[in-house]
Amino acid sequence: MLSILRWGVIASFLICIISLIIMVLKTLSFGRKPVYAKSQGKGIRGILYAFGKGMMPWEKESTRRHILTYTGGTLYHGGIFAAFFCLFSLVMSFELSIPLKFLCSILIGLGFLSGVGLLVKRILLIPLRKISCVDDFAANLAVDVFLALALLNIFYPGLETFFYGASIILFLYIPAGKVRHCVFFFYARILFGLFYGRRGVLPRKIRFET
Amino acid sequence: MNEEKKYQKDFFEDRIENIKAEDIRKALYVFHRKLSNQSAAYLNSCLHCGLCADSCHYYLSTGEIPSIPAYKLSLIEKIFKKHFTLLGKRAPGWVKAKDLTKDLLPEWIDSLFGRCTLCGRCSLNCSVGLNIAYLIRAARGALASVGLVPPGLQSTINTAILKGNSMALPREDWIETVEWLAEELRAEVNDPQAEIPLDRKGARLLYTVNPREPMFFPLSIVAVAKIFYAAGESWTLSSEDYDVTNYGFHSGDDNVAALISGRLVRSMEKLGTQDLVLAECGHGFNSNRWEAPEWLAKKYGFDVKSIIQIVADYIQKGRLKLDPSRNPEPVTLQDPCHLVRLGGIVEEQRYILKRAVARFIEMNPNREKNFCCGGGGGQLAMPRFAKRRLEAGKIKADQIKETEAKVVASPCHNCIDQLLELNKHFDLRVKIKTVAEIVADALVI
Repeated sequence: MLSILRWGVIASFLICIISLIIMVLKTLSFGRKPVYAKSQGKGIRGILYAFGKGMMPWEKESTRRHILTYTGGTLYHGGIFAAFFCLFSLVMSFELSIPLKFLCSILIGLGFLSGVGLLVKRILLIPLRKISCVDDFAANLAVDVFLALALLNIFYPGLETFFYGASIILFLYIPAGKVRHCVFFFYARILFGLFYGRRGVLPRKIRFET
Repeated sequence: MNEEKKYQKDFFEDRIENIKAEDIRKALYVFHRKLSNQSAAYLNSCLHCGLCADSCHYYLSTGEIPSIPAYKLSLIEKIFKKHFTLLGKRAPGWVKAKDLTKDLLPEWIDSLFGRCTLCGRCSLNCSVGLNIAYLIRAARGALASVGLVPPGLQSTINTAILKGNSMALPREDWIETVEWLAEELRAEVNDPQAEIPLDRKGARLLYTVNPREPMFFPLSIVAVAKIFYAAGESWTLSSEDYDVTNYGFHSGDDNVAALISGRLVRSMEKLGTQDLVLAECGHGFNSNRWEAPEWLAKKYGFDVKSIIQIVADYIQKGRLKLDPSRNPEPVTLQDPCHLVRLGGIVEEQRYILKRAVARFIEMNPNREKNFCCGGGGGQLAMPRFAKRRLEAGKIKADQIKETEAKVVASPCHNCIDQLLELNKHFDLRVKIKTVAEIVADALVI
């Protein structure tokens, strides 16, 4: 049974990757608009900004104002990466050291709490609820269950079956729902960097020292 | 409401009410044609986290949910998901996917035209960095393709197309105004040889103006002429194609926008000038500097600059002598979104003002993080949304009050119009000036 589930995880992972690749190719098929206006800054500098300084909480008013949500989101994603690492070790059958297990359990635990917190926020805040669709709740829930089972599996290895099951569901849901942002985030962020970098806005191109 | 406005409003409501299925198909087709890989990536990426809400002056001033940028984006997302995503096609309710139908049109018009100034502030504050204004403009373009641009904005565009400028100023009146302004300049600088050149071939700079200047604020042209005079510049105005504004940018109609901006290119080629210099106009700068080459699918053989860049350059090179004590009152600066956040002209205006006024005070936040004044995105040409526009200006009014400045400088005529209204509405008791007017006052000739 476990062996079948393990292969199920690998298969669903491959389906997920292939689907995401197809989605990116489909997105690219919408065509690229050539750029004619003379550049004022370097696109690459904008991209570096977008993935570096631009991600820092002090750079954005929205994150400064909602530092708890920003922290929650960061912890959530940290927990997800740790849970994927645990899944990887399980599928590849290598034992994690005790300190690594401890670290993963902390990250996954904090990630789970953050995920639940963000879900509760989405349910309770009217403006947030109004801009949400079922997919937003489902995606959050699918990831929370995945995190919960990853955490439980560290302490109760007998729950492997459930962890594998949740992983298969998550992998299959990723390309279909909003979790596809695991790829499109990087795509959109590169575009953000290129746009502001070319225009010399971010990072700011100083031609006149004030 | 006067009869003409009432007629326009009824006509527009009627147009929405009686829109045909083939028009909706056309709008959808145009929307599809406008999608590039960029827009498709953006439409796949919104997390619905809502962190953009507090970045929008509309939402901050009213707290209305349809003003949340993510909500406005979701109106466009619905259509995209319905046509281009698996879940949207198979289980539309799951992702709120929806076809573009007649019942969705009023909300599209209200939100995409009436709750957005295309200022791009939400993009900077978006968790992902989505260019929401870019998508809203694309959706506006789809509406424009079937005649669903709010009447005031559309009639401004029609005027620009038919009359050559957005204020329907006849060519003879423009020439006469320039001649009269040249006399003003001569009196001002006390030099009978001083002039405002018109159609001078081979001049270094072709200067464009906002038609509201010759119509209502002609002295702002004299201010620029005085600066050029003091710097000893070789420049000219064009008697035909001189309008820096481009309302096609606001309606999202790329063909119209290309036609309007193409006129300035024609002027440049006809007069053989070296650089195209744009008057203090935010959207005019974004349109002609950044977007027009894309609309026209053409690499320009000349540079497009803002007058702000030119003046900053003069000061840096010592071509202008300024006496800041001639502007003794405290001055603050309104950063026009299309010039600063979307245009990349950020420090030049500060460099100028710090040398032209006795006391310069920054608003908070400023530069690319500034708040929109509420006058952008064609809002000033859409009276149906005027009440909301003024309400949304509260954020800017509060910012101005906080500085305790007596003068607000703004390198954008659109911002100036909105600021003049905010001045009255919120009793700010400030003077509103262009940067060139302030520099002209400080000039030592």
